Amino acid sequence: MIDVETAHAESMYTRRERPTTAWVWQAATGVLLLILLTVHMIAQHFIVEGGLRTHAEVVDYLRSPVIFVVEHLFLGTVTLHAMLGIRAVLFDFGLAPATERRITSWLTAIGVLTVAYGVWLLWAVAF
Amino acid sequence: MAVSTPSGPSRVRSAGRWFDVRHRGPGTWAYALNRITGLALVGYLYIHLAVLSLLARGPGSYDRFVDLVRSPLFLALDLVLIAGWLIHALNGLRLTVVGLGFGVRAQRTMLVVATGAGLLALVVSAVLLFGD
Repeated sequence: MIDVETAHAESMYTRRERPTTAWVWQAATGVLLLILLTVHMIAQHFIVEGGLRTHAEVVDYLRSPVIFVVEHLFLGTVTLHAMLGIRAVLFDFGLAPATERRITSWLTAIGVLTVAYGVWLLWAVAF
Repeated sequence: MAVSTPSGPSRVRSAGRWFDVRHRGPGTWAYALNRITGLALVGYLYIHLAVLSLLARGPGSYDRFVDLVRSPLFLALDLVLIAGWLIHALNGLRLTVVGLGFGVRAQRTMLVVATGAGLLALVVSAVLLFGD
């Protein structure tokens, strides 16, 4: 028999019906982030002896082709995960569909600007 | 066709449902913590980007900043950040598994395992941070 807590979690927070596309993306980017953030942390703090402590060390680090690709992937994934998370919190307000569409548009714009700034920064620092 | 949406006060009540953990069990506490840490991590993402913009200004400003953040106070803040990330990541993984319909009846066990793994990882992180 399912206890009260489990039933509560099932009814409020889990998708008993078909998961929404946004929920699937949030879950997928979350799992991908676990991998990318682990690579990001291990590469920065353990593979580089003593960690990245100076500007010159960061530039050298970013000039590695594999790291350069991983950092771009990390930036895109973390931004998408963050925007979907904010969207989920805001949608809990029970807004009108038109307002929800506006929120999605705004968050898309903020996400695109964030990624664009991050990509510019990566290229400006590395080259 | 007009769409019925909650009015102001009921809208706030509805949105804050996840935040109200009174008389609720550990699963609800974990879910609320997941959202709070998520919102805090979004804030950190933008702080991190702002700090990294120092890299574009050249070695002077970035190297001075790194000297500052190697102080014990900033290392302690790093540990708070790692704790927030561990809560969000491990609990998020648990919610994803449960959300996909797996292990719904074992979610309390998963919560205990996630808490244990998180605490262990936090201790290892503290040793690595302060033992350096």
